[in-house]
Amino acid sequence: MGRRVSVAWMNLLHERTRLLVAIAGVAFAVLLIFMNLGFLGALTATTTNFYEQFNADLFLSSPETLEVSTTTAFPRERLYQAEGIPGVSRVMPLYSGYVLWRNPDPPHTSRAMFVWAYNPDDPVFLMPELETPSARRILQQPNVVFYDLRSRPDFGSSEIGTVTEAARRQVTIGGNYSLGGGFAADGTLIMSDQNFVRYLSPRPLDLVDTGLIQLTPGANPERVVRALEQALPADVDVYTKAGIMLRDQTYWISSTSIGFIFGLGVLVSFVVGIVIVYQILYTDIRDHLPEYATMKAMGYRNRYLFQIVLQEALLLAAMGYVPGLIVSLGLYELTLNATAGSLPVQMNLSRVGFVLVLTILMCSVSGLISVRKALSTDPAEVF
Amino acid sequence: MVATISEQNSVSVAKELAIKIEHLNFYFGTGELRKQVLFDISLDLPKGQIVILTGPSGSGKTTLLTLLGALRTLHEGSLQVLGKEIVGLPDKALIPIRRNIGFIFQAHNLFESLSASQNVETSVELTRNIGEKRQLAVDMLGQLGLSDRVDYKPNALSGGQKQRVAIARAMVNRPKIILADEPTAALDKASGRDVVTLMRHFCEEAGTTVLMVTHDNRILDVADRIINLVDGRLESDSDLETQTSRIS
Ligand SMILES: Nc1ncnc2c1ncn2[C@@H]1O[C@H](COP(=O)(O)OP(=O)(O)OP(=O)(O)O)[C@@H](O)[C@H]1O
Ligand SMILES: [Mg+2]
Repeated sequence: MGRRVSVAWMNLLHERTRLLVAIAGVAFAVLLIFMNLGFLGALTATTTNFYEQFNADLFLSSPETLEVSTTTAFPRERLYQAEGIPGVSRVMPLYSGYVLWRNPDPPHTSRAMFVWAYNPDDPVFLMPELETPSARRILQQPNVVFYDLRSRPDFGSSEIGTVTEAARRQVTIGGNYSLGGGFAADGTLIMSDQNFVRYLSPRPLDLVDTGLIQLTPGANPERVVRALEQALPADVDVYTKAGIMLRDQTYWISSTSIGFIFGLGVLVSFVVGIVIVYQILYTDIRDHLPEYATMKAMGYRNRYLFQIVLQEALLLAAMGYVPGLIVSLGLYELTLNATAGSLPVQMNLSRVGFVLVLTILMCSVSGLISVRKALSTDPAEVF
Repeated sequence: MVATISEQNSVSVAKELAIKIEHLNFYFGTGELRKQVLFDISLDLPKGQIVILTGPSGSGKTTLLTLLGALRTLHEGSLQVLGKEIVGLPDKALIPIRRNIGFIFQAHNLFESLSASQNVETSVELTRNIGEKRQLAVDMLGQLGLSDRVDYKPNALSGGQKQRVAIARAMVNRPKIILADEPTAALDKASGRDVVTLMRHFCEEAGTTVLMVTHDNRILDVADRIINLVDGRLESDSDLETQTSRIS
């Protein structure tokens, strides 16, 4: 006792069927939003998941580079400069580009293949196939490359020992690894920097595509980034791993239609939610117009009616969000299993919060649109 | 009849007034469509008087009631409710005045989703008497013979019971003025009779002024005074108090 009668709550509970429809409607909109964000997040992750395999803490890249497969090279000198900064333990130049790869199998079509190249003595990648001393020896042989098992099948056989042509020079597959090229490349190769000069001549090694930096254990990455930014001229940017992934993801989201498609999906779901909640609230208000008018005649201010409608909206938001979230978690799991992990849809806390905010916003907007009807009732008209 | 009006005026000067109306005009619409509904109304309602307002359909009874209830803004003449001038006040300033007035409508206008008690409590909440609201509501319903119905929803109540809940809602804050528009129209003869008798009983006790519009000739005897409105003008005003000796 001592609390106000919750007219909002009682109104919602009174019409059970309508309440269930409303909850289902909000939950549906919440579900659609979660699925769109889930797919967007998963696709975004696949654009850059090869970065996980880089054995580096910080990255140097030209400010003109939008993503890793189409780089503007910068002087190798920058890496040597970086080596002198406290906290940096090792620097490794990484070269990249495309070669025309001839399918060893008939009909021998040629396609552009993406190439990573580095000094085989540098531990650039984390893939176990590249870490053995024999793998390093093989990489050092002239005209021998490692072939990515996750390359598209139309590049042809991945078998070790296969001989074909790259950039019109003979090439032998000396090993395999599993990396994937994200959105940038359908197929990738790894070769030594010496081979890279051969296949992509005239390409001098003193221009680097991406610089990799390893930190001494215990070094604070943020602090080293700041020190590097101060020490190095403006022709290179310094990134953490998360930072450079974000750079590439931003590029892919804005340059492809995935950002647009799923962004639109979220927007449409949001609008659908607004319309559903608006319909429910509007009907509810319309059914109670004489009562609202009576409350005004009794001396209640518009503010009070406003509160009732807004409370109803927020209650609907809360009651619809929870089942929406639960079903979404189930569908995420289902998607993950159905695609065998290749579409890594995963829930994270910031998305849970973001969608909650969206849901509250969605219901509030509906509340604000529909409340005008209640506010405009004329208490003189109920007599 | 005209004589009784002046007689009435002289009697009421001595008494305190709940409502004082002077030369009130009211129009609906604006410009070309403007239509005068009330013409030069002058009327004094003393505290504690129970007044019935009659008149043909369309004569302006409901309109007059909404004006006295501070539900419309007014521009011509003078209308004082409990000593406060209402003519010229903006809409916002009318809201607090409404809290001194209990309204009873032809339709009960109860929230279907709220119990009888909760409907009455919405009225108590206006007075910030929130701690005792349940007690006040239950007491009021009890006095109206609804002790065993306090937690029923309107759906489960008869027409007369619903109207009594509406009366409880209007009266629980002991307003100085009650305005009722055909409160018995939706009721059968017996329950209509009950409802007005209850109203009369409470208002006499609390010294409440009542203005009730009715077409129901069978309940005219509860009134102290009967006013007749025709085409927006006061036609007659008969004070039953002076004609029949009242025991009180
Ligand atoms: N909102 C409005 N706008 C314009 N004219 C109105 C409005 N409300 C009432 N009127 C007109 O004002 C006049 C008086 O109406 P009112 O409702 O006060 O009559 P009444 O005496 O209560 O009639 P009844 O006994 O039928 O209820 C009528 O001619 C009616 O058409
Ligand atoms: Mg009327």
